[in-house]
Amino acid sequence: MTTALTQGLERIPDQTGYLVISEEGVLASAGELENDEHTAGVIMQMVRTACRFRLHGTAEPPFKRMSVMFEDYVYAVTISGQKVFVVKRQNNQREPVIV
Amino acid sequence: MGCCFSSDSETSQQNEEVKPLIPDPNLNKIPTNGSDRNADSLLSSRTDEQALLTTILQRTALNIIDVSAVDSQGMEQHEYMDRARQYSTKLEVLSRTLSQKKPVPLPSLSSQPHQVLAADLVSNADVQQVSKIAAYAYSAISQIKVDAKEELVVQFAIP
Repeated sequence: MTTALTQGLERIPDQTGYLVISEEGVLASAGELENDEHTAGVIMQMVRTACRFRLHGTAEPPFKRMSVMFEDYVYAVTISGQKVFVVKRQNNQREPVIV
Repeated sequence: MGCCFSSDSETSQQNEEVKPLIPDPNLNKIPTNGSDRNADSLLSSRTDEQALLTTILQRTALNIIDVSAVDSQGMEQHEYMDRARQYSTKLEVLSRTLSQKKPVPLPSLSSQPHQVLAADLVSNADVQQVSKIAAYAYSAISQIKVDAKEELVVQFAIP
């Protein structure tokens, strides 16, 4: 079962690691996020908080993906089938900063 | 429409006009070895006044909240224990119902998680715009303050 989950994540371009988390704990991890339970815990809290946001009284959370952006990398997070998917990707965008 | 004046009733009218509002206490002075009528009326009026003052005082005491009074009317020990027991049983009932509440299940954001995660990342321009908006919001919120116009606690005194 884990290979079905993780196969798609492996193929994501410029990914440097991933996590698959359920309510009980980490189901799968790889790359820079291998065995990183601390990051898993923090991201679970963040995504649970984000899921409480609502726009104008709609029933569902108003987003499909949550991105935690750092200078050189990004954690992209989504939820599907009671599981949280986290992928760490390189942030290669180098646009000139408009001040 | 006009003032009807008759010189016939002049004296009585004049008397009405100059009649004192508060009856002169010395007017009906009777020597004390006689009846106690005057003393009684004086005493009863004084007790009436006293009763009136007491009711005003009671009403004020009921309506005023004295924030400086630290030691409230003392409760007896057994009353205190009774109340403490009452409150702890109420809390037990409430905590039982609270613990029974199920944690909210994770919503499903997508049926194609790999697709969603592989999609283009948020552009730098978007990130900068959001950061700027968040900074403005933070600045605005930090400027919210209380404009205290009066003292919150005052001394209740009769000047």
